[in-house]
Amino acid sequence: MNPLTDMLLVFLILTTFKLLASGRLRACVRAVAAQGVALGLLTLAMHQGALSLHIVTLACGSMALKGLVFPWVLSRALREAKVQREVEPYVSYTLSILSGLVALSVSLWIGSRLHLPPESFSKLVFPSALFTVLAGLFVIVARRTAVMQVLGFLVLENGIYTFGVGRVGDMPFLVELGVLLDLFVAVFVMGITIYHINREFDHIDTDRLDSLKG
Amino acid sequence: MLGALVALPVMWAAAGWRLRSARRVLDWVCAGVCAQSALCLLVVALGGPDGAPPAVAGWLFLDALSTYHLMVLMAVYLLSSFGARGFFAHEIEVGTFALPLARLFAALWMASLAAMTLVLLSNNLGLMWVGMEATTLLTAFLIYVHRTPRALEAMWKYLLICSVGIAFAFMGTLLVAAAATKGLGMVGEALLWTRLREGAANLDATTMKAAFIFLLVGYGTKAGLAPLHNWLPDAHSQAPAPVSAIFSGFMLNASLYCLMRYVPLVEGSTGHSGWALDLLRLIGVVSILVAAAFILFQHDLKRLLAYHSVEHLGVIAVGLGLGGLGTFAALFHTLNHSLCKTLGFLCAGRLGQIYGTHDMTAMTGTVRRARLWGWGLLLSFLALIGAAPFAIFMSELLMLKAAIDARALAVLVLFLLGTATVFVGALRHAIAMAWGSHDGPASARTATAVDGVVVSACVAILVLLGLWMPQPLLRTIEAAARIIGGHE
Repeated sequence: MNPLTDMLLVFLILTTFKLLASGRLRACVRAVAAQGVALGLLTLAMHQGALSLHIVTLACGSMALKGLVFPWVLSRALREAKVQREVEPYVSYTLSILSGLVALSVSLWIGSRLHLPPESFSKLVFPSALFTVLAGLFVIVARRTAVMQVLGFLVLENGIYTFGVGRVGDMPFLVELGVLLDLFVAVFVMGITIYHINREFDHIDTDRLDSLKG
Repeated sequence: MLGALVALPVMWAAAGWRLRSARRVLDWVCAGVCAQSALCLLVVALGGPDGAPPAVAGWLFLDALSTYHLMVLMAVYLLSSFGARGFFAHEIEVGTFALPLARLFAALWMASLAAMTLVLLSNNLGLMWVGMEATTLLTAFLIYVHRTPRALEAMWKYLLICSVGIAFAFMGTLLVAAAATKGLGMVGEALLWTRLREGAANLDATTMKAAFIFLLVGYGTKAGLAPLHNWLPDAHSQAPAPVSAIFSGFMLNASLYCLMRYVPLVEGSTGHSGWALDLLRLIGVVSILVAAAFILFQHDLKRLLAYHSVEHLGVIAVGLGLGGLGTFAALFHTLNHSLCKTLGFLCAGRLGQIYGTHDMTAMTGTVRRARLWGWGLLLSFLALIGAAPFAIFMSELLMLKAAIDARALAVLVLFLLGTATVFVGALRHAIAMAWGSHDGPASARTATAVDGVVVSACVAILVLLGLWMPQPLLRTIEAAARIIGGHE
C-alpha cells in the first residue's frame, strides 16, 4: 500500500466523474488526457523493484499517446466539427453523476467481496478499475456526440489497463506494444471517421445515424 | 517461414503502391493472394501432418487447427479477390472506383489478410488479440469504399461496437494471464497457448470461468453471435460485395477461432465439466433463432445474407458446444459456410450492379436477366438453407447426430425449428428472385471466363464435399477437432 498509488487511483475516479458530469467537450478531452497521464504514472508507482527499460518505455509511451496524441486528434475533430458541447444527452448530467455513484458503490462492494490475490498492491485497484470500465460503457450509451463516445471508449480502455497495471511483466513487451499500437490506430481511425461524418451530415450526433435497421 | 506468411501480404501491398491504374492494382492484388496461397501450401506441405514447428521464439506456430483455418482463409481470399476484380471492373467503367481509392482498397485488403493470418498463427494469446483488433481497424474503411452516408453510418457502428467488444476480450486475456501466473508460476511466457494447454488442469477454475465470459462477449461480438450481432447486418449490407464476402466468409470465423483456442483451456481447468460448452450451445441456439426471425421478414438481399451469417455462426457454436462429433461437424461447417457465403455475396453484388438495388422485391427474374449470377445466387441459397446434396446438408446432418448422441433434446428441437424456419423463409425469397416475372432486357454485360470459374469452383466444391470427403481433409479436421476437445 503506498500513498502515491492511492492518490493516483482517486484521481482516476475523479476524472471519470468529470466525464460523467460535463458536456463541455473540450474539458472532457482534457480530463481524459489527464487520466491517461495519471495511468502512466501509476504504472511506474506500482512497479516494485528496479525500473527496467521495459516498464519505463511502456509508461512513457502510453503517457505520450494518451496525454498528447489522442487529445490532439480529438481536438482537431472538434475544431472541424465546430461543436462545443453535448446538447441534450440521453441521460441528464445529474442522473449521470448519480449513476456513477451507484456504480462506484457497487464496484467497492464487489471489490470487498472478492478475495484478490495478495499481489494487488492497493485495495482500491480493483474497484476503481471496475468503476472506470462501467462509467466508460455508460458514457458510450448515454451520449449522442461521436466525440463523447470515443472518450467513453478511451475511459473503458483505461479501466481495463488499470486491471492489468499490477501485472505488467506477465505480458511480453511486444504484446503490450501491439496493444498500444492498436489503441492508437483505433483512435486515429475514429478521428478520421468523425471528420467524414461531420462533412457528410453536418453534425456528429450519432443518434441521427439511424437509416439502417431491421 | 511462418513469419514470412504474415509479412508477404504487407510487403506485396507496399510494392504495388505505385501502380498507375486501378485495373493494374486489382490484378496486383490477385497475384499477391495467389502468391500467398502458394506459400501457405508450401508451408503446410513442408510441415507434414503435425504442422510446422514453432518459430519466432515460439510465438508463431501451426497445428492442425490453424492449418485448417488457414486453408479456409486462403480459399475465401482467392475467390473474393478474383470476384473483386470483376466487381470493381464495373465500378471503374462507371467511374466510382478511381486510382486513389483502388490503392487504399488494395493496401487494406492485403493488410487484413496479414492480420487474419497473424491471428491464425499466433501461439501467444496476447498476439492473437492484437491481430484480431487489427482486423477491425483495417477492415473499417473497406466498408466505406462506396462513399455513401449509409456506409458511413455502418462503419461507425462497426468501429465502435467491435472495438468495445474486443476490449472485453482483452480483459479476458488479462484474466487468463493472471490465472497462468498464479497456477503455473509462469512469468513472461504466461500467454503461450501450448504451455497453457499442457498445464490447463492447474489453472484456477474460477478465474478461467470469469475470463471465458469476457472472451465470449468480446470475440462473440466480433463473430456476430446474437444478441451481440447488431453491427453485422449494417456492415455486411453497406460494404462492397467482395468485402462482405471476406467479412462473412472469414473474419467472423477468425473470431470464433479465437474462442476455439480457449475452449480446451477452460474445459481443462474445470475438469471437463462441460461448463464452457454449455455457454457455447446457449449462445449458438439464440443466434439461430434470432437470425431465423429476421430472415423471414427481410427485404434487402445483402441483409438477408448477413442474417444467414448469424445463423450459421450460431450453428458452428452449437456444434462446438455439443463436443465430440459436434466439434468435427462444426469445423466442417466452417468451410462449407465460408465457401457458400463467398459465392452468395459475390453473386448478390453483381446482381445489385445490374438491377441498381438490393431490394429483393425489385430483383426478380435473375436467372433470365443474368444467367451466371442468377444461378449462382440460387444455388448458394439452396446450399445455405441446407438442401441436399450440398455440403452444408452433410455438416448439419452430422450435427443432428451429435445432438442425439449427446442427448441434447432441447438443442435438437430448437436447432430444427430455427433451420426449418430459415429453410422456408429463404426459399420463398430465392424462388421469387430467380424465376419471378421481370420486364427488363437481359443484361448486356456478359460474365467473363474468370467470373465463370469463380462461381463454378464454389458450386463444384460444395457439391463435391457433400458427396465425398477427401482423406487429407478428413484427417486434418479430425486432428483439429481433437485439439479443441483437448484429447491430444
